[in-house]
Amino acid sequence: MEWLTPLTALYAGAAAVPLLLLLYFLKLKRREQIVSSTLLWKRAVQDLQVNAPFQRIRRNILLLLQLLMLLAILFGLAWPVLSLTAGSGRRYVLLIDRSASMNAVDVAPSRLDAAKEQAKLFIESLPGKAFFSLKGTGDQIMVIAFGKRAKVMCNFTSDKRQALAAIEAIRAGDGDSLLGEAVVVARAFAQSPGVEADNRSAEEPAQLVLFSDGRIRDLDQIAVASDELIFNCVGKSVQNIAITAMQARRSYENPDEIDIFATLANYGATRVNCDLQLSLNADVRAVRSVTIPGRTTTGDSNTAQPGKAAVSFSLSHADAGVLEVRQLHSDCLSCDDAAWAILSAPTRLSVLLVTAGNIVLESALRASPLGRLEICTPAEFDAMDHAALSVEQPYDVIVLDNHVPTGLPKCRYLTFGRPPDNIDVSVPQQLENQVMVDWRSRHPVLQYVNLTNLFAARCYKMSLPRDAEVLAEFDQTPALALLRRNGSVFLLAGFDVLQTNWPFEPGFVLFCYNAASFLGMEVARNQDTNLRVGQPIVVEGLPPETLAGIEGPGVSGGEIKANPAGLIRFPGTDRVGVYSLNVPDQPLRLFAVNLLDARESDIEPAREIVLSGQSVQAQQRPFSRSNLALWPFLVGLALVLACLEWLVYNHKVRI
Amino acid sequence: MNQTKTATARRRITDLLDPNFVARLDSLDVLSRKILQGKLQGERRSKRRGQSVEFADHRPYVVGDDLRFVDWNIYGRLEQLFLKLFLEEQDLTVHIAMDASASMSFGEPSKELFIKKLIAALGYVSLVNNNRVTISSFADGLKTQMANMRGRSYLAQMAEFLLTSQSEGFSNFDNACRQIAAGRLGSGIMIVLSDFFFKEGFDTGLRRLVSRQYDLYVIQVLSAQELSPDLAGDLKLIDVEDADAAEVTISSALIKYYKRNLSAYCNELKDFCTRRGAAYILVNSADSVESLVLNYLRRIRLLR
Repeated sequence: MEWLTPLTALYAGAAAVPLLLLLYFLKLKRREQIVSSTLLWKRAVQDLQVNAPFQRIRRNILLLLQLLMLLAILFGLAWPVLSLTAGSGRRYVLLIDRSASMNAVDVAPSRLDAAKEQAKLFIESLPGKAFFSLKGTGDQIMVIAFGKRAKVMCNFTSDKRQALAAIEAIRAGDGDSLLGEAVVVARAFAQSPGVEADNRSAEEPAQLVLFSDGRIRDLDQIAVASDELIFNCVGKSVQNIAITAMQARRSYENPDEIDIFATLANYGATRVNCDLQLSLNADVRAVRSVTIPGRTTTGDSNTAQPGKAAVSFSLSHADAGVLEVRQLHSDCLSCDDAAWAILSAPTRLSVLLVTAGNIVLESALRASPLGRLEICTPAEFDAMDHAALSVEQPYDVIVLDNHVPTGLPKCRYLTFGRPPDNIDVSVPQQLENQVMVDWRSRHPVLQYVNLTNLFAARCYKMSLPRDAEVLAEFDQTPALALLRRNGSVFLLAGFDVLQTNWPFEPGFVLFCYNAASFLGMEVARNQDTNLRVGQPIVVEGLPPETLAGIEGPGVSGGEIKANPAGLIRFPGTDRVGVYSLNVPDQPLRLFAVNLLDARESDIEPAREIVLSGQSVQAQQRPFSRSNLALWPFLVGLALVLACLEWLVYNHKVRI
Repeated sequence: MNQTKTATARRRITDLLDPNFVARLDSLDVLSRKILQGKLQGERRSKRRGQSVEFADHRPYVVGDDLRFVDWNIYGRLEQLFLKLFLEEQDLTVHIAMDASASMSFGEPSKELFIKKLIAALGYVSLVNNNRVTISSFADGLKTQMANMRGRSYLAQMAEFLLTSQSEGFSNFDNACRQIAAGRLGSGIMIVLSDFFFKEGFDTGLRRLVSRQYDLYVIQVLSAQELSPDLAGDLKLIDVEDADAAEVTISSALIKYYKRNLSAYCNELKDFCTRRGAAYILVNSADSVESLVLNYLRRIRLLR
């Protein structure tokens, strides 16, 4: 027999037993008896109280029964358990999936709760560290919850209450499920002696016990020994309709027009008619009925493909707002029933060209659809208030043409010629007659740009730091590079345009357009508002040490402080929904966090998981209780004792 | 006539005492440890010099002395007048004070019955020996009194008094003793019968009864239940006189402390009596009155 909560009982006993004795002194029903005189009795009682204060509870059957009853209750509180199965002390790592698919309610109340219940049953069934027994060691348990990231809920312990509390503390998430990190963490912890540094061998392998629905993305990257992992599958239904893709985009020609695309997937076997609702700022703008075919199984690979349907909406809205697409058909998983997008107000780029006179560059920029193009000489640029430029940022992009400025206000730069100083780029020498050897044609900056014929009569040899992104290379030096420094973004072209044949190429205008658009997107990139679950909210360029309030699903009244560089990073986007970041004296920033994950939306429980070719079958039956809690019997005993006490009391009073 | 009276008295007194026992009492008499002065010339030597047959002393004649008591033989030898002094024999007052408070009805057999029997025996002995007998019953004061009975003719009255006396009311020993001492005349024997469980104490009351004229006998009568209680369990003890309550849980330790206290209390009473020349007797109401009277009281020379 073991005791799961001996300390609770000890504390309760320490409080209750003296209380009972005290009550016994206070309330005692006495029988009246007439005597000739109480004179001597009073003296005797006084003598007795002086000499032996506890004499009066001697040989008192009522008190004895009450004490026995109390003891039975206290023993019950200690949660004694009679082990019905024998087993030696082992180490177990419970891996509990808390990804989005575990929120499915096909198992009441949810898959995660069912997994937690099974994990608790598993723990309660283990022989623990016996408190009052001679057996010194018991099984040790570690609890890890994993979604996109693994989280150690408790390290190896034989305190079952701690492990149970750790399981209870696991909260649902809406993220992806990646088991690899959890397994790595579990093995790392298993090799250390653990918190209770006994003589447990570090080599002893820990048993991994997985509680999941089997929808795990990185199974093929994990290798386990054949009997290292026990898999407990939760879930039974496949009925789910999910929004697996959603995008809202302003029309390039007419920025007021917004096109919304959404893809719905039906993971059930039957065709489903469902309504799709589009809301803007919580006002329903459109509802469309969609028919989604059922899941189909392709014959060759025997893999099931969900039925899909694509829907597009378009609406006109010139301001910022929150778009929500929601499917209204009831299903098992709710976190993929809606997707959000944050619309920013349409903006046009504002560009400053710093040049001593470059008609080619000026023409190319004017050909691009910019909001504003200003041109100034290098002397005028150096004379500007750079601090004000950093803070106000009146220009989205600054194009430096053969100018190395004295100061670099925080901005997005496109530089031609010698790179600016103080950005870790050194120019050891100048090169001549360089031809293009390679470039990244799929990078947005070089999209549709053909550099095959690019020839530079003279260029700078750029020695770039390691984090720079090289986009195109001459034979001896990088030609185009992307570098982020000091909150600014630099697109470096290490040559003067007029020293190349590029202006005669159609690709040059495309490059200027792409570069301005890309750097302009870098403006928006600083405030990426459409995120996936688990992706952090990052806001740059705030006043240092600013305290901002954050609200969202599962986050209320949170506060977050910017670092000295003026950057806020909030990683707690565990649930889908719209998060808001409130920086004082600035407009409210909104962020949409979406699941949009076809794998997580596919909630069909996998009875078999394949880890790097190693197949692991789910346990045939869920855990059943392998030991017997004794507290109900002790409570019953307490009841019997109470009845007995009642009888004795009545008998005594009747005398 | 006299025989008839005695028979009636005996019939009545036999309600309390066994006739055989009464017959044995006839041979007894009350004995005072001191020779005490009585009112009438009686059958008893007194300290007072007077007219009797027992010579005591001589003293020189002074003018006015009764010439009948001059010792003429001495005058013949010495030619000086001396008076012969005799011990005068006087009657003895036997004053019996009985506690008639409610506590006396307690016990099995009751203390009340026991002391009534004892008083009947002592009264019988006193009356048949022509002693002056006064019986007082007291509780919170003097309740009733049969005073100055003398001779067998009072046996019936005494029996009547005893049989009609009721033990009730609460006790005030000091007050009772003050009244008894105030109404007491002459000299003799004072016998006090009680359980002496007085919450205000017995010493001030008894101190009033101690006097040179009276030979004091203190008889403490306790029931067997008081000497060795047979209680058990958690009890609320109620005092039969003043309804005072004491909550006790009977245990061997408590009984031990009770007996120790009882013993100390009785010893205190005994010491008090001894220091003041009084005789102290502790009796159990379950004991037989016959053996007490015929053996113990004779042994301590209250009776002869």
